[in-house]
Amino acid sequence: MLETDKLTKQFKDTIAVDDVSLVLKRGESVGLLGPNGAGKSTAIAMISTLMKPSSGDVRLNGKSVLKKPDDMRRVLGVVPQKIALYEELSAYENLKFFGRLYGLSGNKLEQRIEYVLELVGLADRKKELVKNYSGGMQRRVNLAAAMMHEPEVLIMDEPTVGIDPQSRNHLLETIRKLNRDEGMTVLYTSHYMEEVEKLCDRVYIMDHGKVIAEGTKEELKAILSDQETVLIEFDQNYPELFKKLSEIEGVQHSTIEEQSLKLIIPRGTRMLAALFHEAERYGAQVINVNVQTPTLEDVFLRLTGRKLRD
Amino acid sequence: MGAFLIKDIMLLLRDRSELLILLAMPFLLIAILGFSLRGIFSGDLEALEMDIALVSEENEAQAVASIQNEIEEMGVPPEQTEALTQAAESASPQTMLVSLFEDESLSELITVERMDRAQAQQSLDEETVDAVITLPEGFTQKSLRNMLFGSKEGSELELLAADLSSPQTDVLDSILQEFVRTVNFEASISRLSGQESAAEVSGGIETITAREPITSFQYYTIGMAVMFVLFVGSTIAGQANLEQKQMVFDRIRLSNRSPLLYLSSKAIAASAIVTVQLALLFSLSALLFQTFAADSWAFWSGIAIISITLAFSVGCLAALMVAITLRLESDAVPAIFSGGVISLMAFVGGSFMPLDGMPEMLRAIGNWTPNGAALSAYFSWLLEPDLSQLMEPLMRIGIVAVVFLLLALALFPRKGGAA
Repeated sequence: MLETDKLTKQFKDTIAVDDVSLVLKRGESVGLLGPNGAGKSTAIAMISTLMKPSSGDVRLNGKSVLKKPDDMRRVLGVVPQKIALYEELSAYENLKFFGRLYGLSGNKLEQRIEYVLELVGLADRKKELVKNYSGGMQRRVNLAAAMMHEPEVLIMDEPTVGIDPQSRNHLLETIRKLNRDEGMTVLYTSHYMEEVEKLCDRVYIMDHGKVIAEGTKEELKAILSDQETVLIEFDQNYPELFKKLSEIEGVQHSTIEEQSLKLIIPRGTRMLAALFHEAERYGAQVINVNVQTPTLEDVFLRLTGRKLRD
Repeated sequence: MGAFLIKDIMLLLRDRSELLILLAMPFLLIAILGFSLRGIFSGDLEALEMDIALVSEENEAQAVASIQNEIEEMGVPPEQTEALTQAAESASPQTMLVSLFEDESLSELITVERMDRAQAQQSLDEETVDAVITLPEGFTQKSLRNMLFGSKEGSELELLAADLSSPQTDVLDSILQEFVRTVNFEASISRLSGQESAAEVSGGIETITAREPITSFQYYTIGMAVMFVLFVGSTIAGQANLEQKQMVFDRIRLSNRSPLLYLSSKAIAASAIVTVQLALLFSLSALLFQTFAADSWAFWSGIAIISITLAFSVGCLAALMVAITLRLESDAVPAIFSGGVISLMAFVGGSFMPLDGMPEMLRAIGNWTPNGAALSAYFSWLLEPDLSQLMEPLMRIGIVAVVFLLLALALFPRKGGAA
């Protein structure tokens, strides 16, 4: 349905997006995962026809949209990272304004406003000014505004940044409902691995402007299928011990988090005894040991050598 | 278009600080300036008091006698000769002028003292008198010939003033113009500054009885109104900047609406706001300060025509500022405009004080600002409600508006495509 072909954006000496090719099939939920500064927002701006690429193409149903963006804009609902609303207007007034921009009027407009407000759970507070809402509520109206014209594709750029867990769950549930129950195609960008893991069928991982991996969640995790993650929690931080453990033969990657050590090791390796032995030599107390199957975060770590939130 | 307009007006109505600037501030200034500077304008007659010297360079009795001789030599019937001789005596212009200044209404303001030319010049130099009126030799004779025989010989009065631009001189000049009109002379009055040598200057005659002078409240109601409407331009441009920053502008672009529709809606919103702003300021000022005595439809129609033209011009100015703001992606334009340019425009436009004494170039610039041209149009309408007098200032406002609009269209970033 929607694809990008070698999309590139260069700002003076910086290449923000480098040769990115993505495909979104109808009804799919696709994640664009990457740390801050990876080029996700720039890619989204180009896909949304708001920014001209330096090279490459964006196609909707096989037709380029760069010169004639109207068709693309008709089917797109874009939820930007910023709260793109009038703070001095109420949620209802904002939705009415954006609805009218899309040519809605009369009963149809009122019904659509009611529908999207119900969808984001703000029907009972629609008369309040947006500036008086919590951050989470503002993000929900931000989504509602993008839904006013019944878009076929919803593009969301970090829609949960800076909101409380309750609002985040509500928002994620709403997006899941739109994708699964209403068949809406979703492109969801985030640097929160768990959100992408929860919502998306397929994932593109971006770093430094490039797509470094893509596939279904299972396919991506299969990158680490011959590995497992061991998380050891100690009673305190032992820098010297942690360094020693990271250097044990077979350890492929290690991360230190305060008093925990995360090691990626080959599946089936009998390393635990060696780890405990070394800890005992240092007089360190192990509080907890957890052997996990890899997450997307682990995949990202393996691919880039750094964490998503670095 | 309707959606944009409603939204812009709702946003303005909810912005209390902007409302204060656009409505409360000018009203407060009208009250302060109107009351405190009342004396400078015609409301206070004390400010117009003056002493003048009257110099007669002829012997009035001799001049009348000479005319009477001319009448007798004309060979007209004796009854007619007697009537003309009496008329020459009673209608002597010198006597009439003196009686005019002795009239109760003028004697409170103007003190006249007869002097010879040298004495009068000295008094003027020493500033013990404000002006000198000179009746040159032959004045009475020429004037009487004009009146009685319909001769086309021009007779002239000479007015010498220490300060030609002072309100007192203006008033005296108007009185003399009215005097010559009353006695139906084909005369002109030469106006000379104290330093200049006597030279004849002919000028048109205006009537002062048909117009009321502009009061301080009228001056500052109009002055502040035409100044504060300019803030609408920066308000609208500031709004556009916020829309761009918060990505609402991107949402609008995604709706496939023509970018020019957005720009024109900004211009129309600004025009609508200015119209309401002017209507509120004028009607409140009329109600509370009795600024405008005229309550005829014709009077208010003229005010409405000027206001709508000014509103159109400010709308175009707002569009230009929106275009520059969006192109530069910065709020510097509305900030600089409201922080300094408006005050400058208000000054050269004459919002703070009359520009009569200012350099010609400054006045010319002021006349080409929307506020300055509107100010001239309002004053012209107040003094003489004549539509033909409005054409020139209204044309200037219109031309400036079209220039603003063309610049706005040229500078507006047309991000209709994938840009």
